[in-house]
Amino acid sequence: MTGLMRYQIFEKIMDRITDELVICTIGQPCQELFKIKDRPGNFYMLGSMGMASSIGLGLAMSTGKKVVVLDGDSANVMNMGAFATMGFNAPGNLVHIIVDNEANGSTGFQPSFTARNVRLDQVAKGCSIPNVTLVDRADDISPAVAKALAADEMHTLVIKAEIGLMPGIDLLPIGPDDIRDRFMEAVGA
Amino acid sequence: MTPTDQLYQRLRSNGLDFFASVPCKLLDGLLKRLGDDDDIIYTPVSREEDGVGVLAGAYMAGRRPALVMQNSGFGNSVNAVCSLLNYYGVPVIFVISHRGSPGEPVAAQNVMGDAVAGIMAASGVRAVSIGHPDQLQQIDAEITAAFAEGRSLGLLLPFSFWEA
Repeated sequence: MTGLMRYQIFEKIMDRITDELVICTIGQPCQELFKIKDRPGNFYMLGSMGMASSIGLGLAMSTGKKVVVLDGDSANVMNMGAFATMGFNAPGNLVHIIVDNEANGSTGFQPSFTARNVRLDQVAKGCSIPNVTLVDRADDISPAVAKALAADEMHTLVIKAEIGLMPGIDLLPIGPDDIRDRFMEAVGA
Repeated sequence: MTPTDQLYQRLRSNGLDFFASVPCKLLDGLLKRLGDDDDIIYTPVSREEDGVGVLAGAYMAGRRPALVMQNSGFGNSVNAVCSLLNYYGVPVIFVISHRGSPGEPVAAQNVMGDAVAGIMAASGVRAVSIGHPDQLQQIDAEITAAFAEGRSLGLLLPFSFWEA
């Protein structure tokens, strides 16, 4: 285990982000990301749990910019077929980061499948994603993120996390139209 | 021209340029044409909801997206249709083979065949049934309006269309 909570891992990731497009999974992860580093290039999901990886894939296949998906373990299990779609296409500008806290955080931290025996890094490998890294040491997070961002092949990072929330988070103050409009302007299509 | 050829040309002449698909026997010819088209992006998807997500991402990068699928799969996509496409005003064109329409040989297809129009209506997606290839010209205005208004559109293609 990295010993870090999700928001502390997000802080390390966002320290490395410059002009990449970021898709963030639904719920408290969006609230944490908004507080850490709000920017037009962040797409905050307000619904459709599980769709972050799919949205990121379609975006990466349509733009030359780097796309980073901030995903959760339970969201991934909910849309596990997306691993196949991602592995089948594997765009080189896609970085899929699963912060695995082994729990359904936004609904009360019920233990998730990965808390017992499900291995999402193995699912990613089985779907032929070209670079898959399981990160379970805090010191390895920043180098792994930097390597994935610099690469020209798709990477999946599964980063192990402790349960817990960032203090002081709240519902997002912006709605779906604003999120979409400023994100599309950041994409620049 | 076959119904498949007419449909393919109409979709392309409407500028649709990013296609995702879940297969159906009725769609086999269309999927082959999409796979051979170097001027579009085309990918199979694991299930319909996955496709909705992929196409939402494509739209936000300036593409005009379509999901080619069987009607039974609309039920697999409802949450993403409502809380992603509708909520964010992201349009996707659903090109749907309508199994369970008159002429259906597989009785089990009738259940979702009968239900799909109601599910689409409840999901806030306008559905237009194209009973014959001669009616394809009407989709031009439908697709233009859908993109202009940021709302999704379903094109239901029953057996009468494919067998014309």
